[in-house]
Amino acid sequence: MQKLTIKKGYRFRMAGAPADDLIVLPAPARVAVLPERVPHIKPRLLVKKGDQVQIGSPLFEDKRNPRFKFLSPGGGTIHDISFGPRRVIQAIVIDRKETPEPETRFQAVTENQLAQIERQELVDRILDGGMWWAFRELPFRDLPAPDGEPPFILISLNAKEPFQPSPAVYLKDQEQLLAYGLKALNVLAPGKVRVFADASESSVIEKAGQWLTHVVSGNYPCDDPATVLYRIKSDASQNRAWFVAGQDLLALAHLLREGRYPIRRVVAVAGSAAPDRRHCHIRLGAPLSQMVEDARLHGGERFVVGGLFRGYSSDSDGYVGFYETAVNVVPEGGEPEFLALFNPGVSRPSYSRTFLSRLNPKALVYNCNMHGDLRACIACMHCADVCPVDLLPQMIYKSILAEEVEEYLELGLLDCVECGLCSYVCPSKIELSRTFIATKAAYAKEQAVKPD
Amino acid sequence: MKAIRQFFENQRRHFEGNGPLAPLEPFYEAMERVFFGTGQVTGQAPHARDSLTVQRYMMLVIVMLLPCLFFGMYNVGLQSFKAAGHPLDFWPMMVFGAKIVLPLVIISYLFGFGWEIVFSAIRKHPISEGVFVTAMLFPLTLPPTTPWWQAALGISFGVVLGKEVFGGTGRNFLNPALTGRAFLYFAYPIQMSGDAVWTAVYNHGAQAVDAVTAATPLALATTAPASQTVEQTLAAAGYDFSTLFLGFYPDSIGASSALLCLIGAVVLMIIGVASYRIILGDIIGVLALGYVLNLFAGEGSAPYLGMNPFYHLIIGGTAFGIAFMTTDPVSAPDTHAARWIYGFFIGALTVLIRVFNPAFPEGIMLAILFMNVFAPLLDHLVIRLRIRKRIPNI
Ligand code: SF4
Ligand code: SF4
Repeated sequence: MQKLTIKKGYRFRMAGAPADDLIVLPAPARVAVLPERVPHIKPRLLVKKGDQVQIGSPLFEDKRNPRFKFLSPGGGTIHDISFGPRRVIQAIVIDRKETPEPETRFQAVTENQLAQIERQELVDRILDGGMWWAFRELPFRDLPAPDGEPPFILISLNAKEPFQPSPAVYLKDQEQLLAYGLKALNVLAPGKVRVFADASESSVIEKAGQWLTHVVSGNYPCDDPATVLYRIKSDASQNRAWFVAGQDLLALAHLLREGRYPIRRVVAVAGSAAPDRRHCHIRLGAPLSQMVEDARLHGGERFVVGGLFRGYSSDSDGYVGFYETAVNVVPEGGEPEFLALFNPGVSRPSYSRTFLSRLNPKALVYNCNMHGDLRACIACMHCADVCPVDLLPQMIYKSILAEEVEEYLELGLLDCVECGLCSYVCPSKIELSRTFIATKAAYAKEQAVKPD
Repeated sequence: MKAIRQFFENQRRHFEGNGPLAPLEPFYEAMERVFFGTGQVTGQAPHARDSLTVQRYMMLVIVMLLPCLFFGMYNVGLQSFKAAGHPLDFWPMMVFGAKIVLPLVIISYLFGFGWEIVFSAIRKHPISEGVFVTAMLFPLTLPPTTPWWQAALGISFGVVLGKEVFGGTGRNFLNPALTGRAFLYFAYPIQMSGDAVWTAVYNHGAQAVDAVTAATPLALATTAPASQTVEQTLAAAGYDFSTLFLGFYPDSIGASSALLCLIGAVVLMIIGVASYRIILGDIIGVLALGYVLNLFAGEGSAPYLGMNPFYHLIIGGTAFGIAFMTTDPVSAPDTHAARWIYGFFIGALTVLIRVFNPAFPEGIMLAILFMNVFAPLLDHLVIRLRIRKRIPNI
């Protein structure tokens, strides 16, 4: 087990952490999948409104590779398919049928079989079982091509973005499944699996210690796969590593071991405006209303699914996507504050040392106010000081504006972890990370059409 | 508070869309920001944003400049009263100083802000708050005898040619306040240098003009006779270490007190608004070159070579330049390594220019402008090195 220390990044003292108890919520009447929230894919619908589906029936596939299938987390009737601007498929909503819920079965792989199974065979099982989405390839976080063997498969057991489920909670009684999943990954990339946890999670390190290859200490986003890869790669050929999130690995293991499409999820419901802050055991694709009761809100809250720094905002009648494991409820904060400029700021969160909150040991309330207007870059270098992968975000931003493709690639744009910290700290309120994510996505698209 | 909010809400329509004052929208926005933070919320991730704004960043610099401003008023009064042989009472001196200094500050703000509004309106850009700092820095670097029209001309030159023609804040590579100051220095050498300009005349006509030509410490340092050390010469003229450190000597309005500059620099470094790398680099540069020159000092050489290097930090505008001018992040290099080098060279050049070119006794102004020009190059070199260390990801 190696120790990795990531010096940069940022530690938030954010109010609203979830309690460690786990509430099992009943199966909701409706579940949904959100094709819009799976980055890069081009969904082609395989169902229409009114169709009968089972747990595990394919709902849509990726036009780029029809073997990338996305299955239904519920059995029943397609209640609705909603489209956004430019016919983006936003949600496929399924009305669940009451018990017995119809379910598609897949062929299970026993632990013994796993020891002998061919790589290709295993890949096929995962593709057919609709779980290929658990794998993502750096630097674009897109689904990887199934036939290539990756230089690494990185598994991060936790995510330091506030507030994600604690691994101690979601891994409880799941150690066997985790071990099984890691074995399966070893078939895909023998000797290339790297598993890491945050150094502050001592109970996890104790329990899962035998499988951990790295213990990471540092601030958000030190345990992001891209941050870890930046530190452990020794060669450019390792840039296209794959990664699997901790809970996605459990889901994948569940599919293979049980032969059933996984529908269990542990979601952290947190944030300073959330009425109940706790871990919830939910159905994949459950509605937010099930986790946060509208009646107990005061108005002016924002629902962020997936975390304040990378997640998407949603109405309270939205759903949790495939990848998201957190629901944060925070104050919207849209009121202009009187004399904000001169506020000593005892409780105003800031990376800078220009507020008295520096001396206030309490957890602080973060809201969604911009706290300022767009200005030219004043070269304060806060963005570079927080960037976990040592980028110079303001330089990359300028070369993106100047369309200097070679230059921004050379400056390391593709190493960007997409953590959002640079945008967070910028006093000029420049949309750095959003620009980087968009530029990366455009570049990925361009690479995909180029016959290499 | 409600009333102020209401006032802004009522006025907004004049500045928006087709309102009669629409071109002045940036002005409206700047004024509104003094009273109210923005109510705008984020649209996408990251959903939370830091509480720090550019406005606050700039305001903190101005707050740290205020002691220099008030001290400047007092000192201007003090030096005139001393020269005129007038009794040294606090309030009369303060009032006299304020009468000299405040008009220069007001002119600087009127013209600096005026140009900023003009350019923002033309470009449809928001006003950049940097101009508030520029307009405060500029008058503090002037001799108290500066004619008003020259102050107006200088700040205009600084803001327009030092900044706006390059595209405004963030794109300028010269420090605008210094650009304006340097322009005056070269365009009007008579009113900007010599011994007579540093003391405002009290009671015009009633006093003999000779009485007000106290030489500045910098002038004395260059001309110290070979028989004495510079320190002795200065002390003989009444400029001992503590007088120089505290700033009670004829100099530009706000730059004489090394103590206040030190306090400003320390506070700005602690709150992270000024780069400690630049400031420490500056100081190391000054001291290092001062010591190197000490090595060359000997029999028959100019006493200036042998001056205690710490004196370079406390006489003239070095301390002011280090604390408030070199640390302007926009005209300094961005990368941390380059900032050390930048600071070091400014310090070293300041001493070199002072000692070897008596025509420019105040070396720091030229040193900063010179290094401003090299800042992009320093950054470029540092970035190349960084890129070479990265494992490429293309
Ligand atoms: S550039 Fe910004 S978003 Fe990307 S890793 Fe650095 S801080 Fe995070
Ligand atoms: S944080 Fe913003 S203002 Fe500061 S250097 Fe980065 S881009 Fe420029």
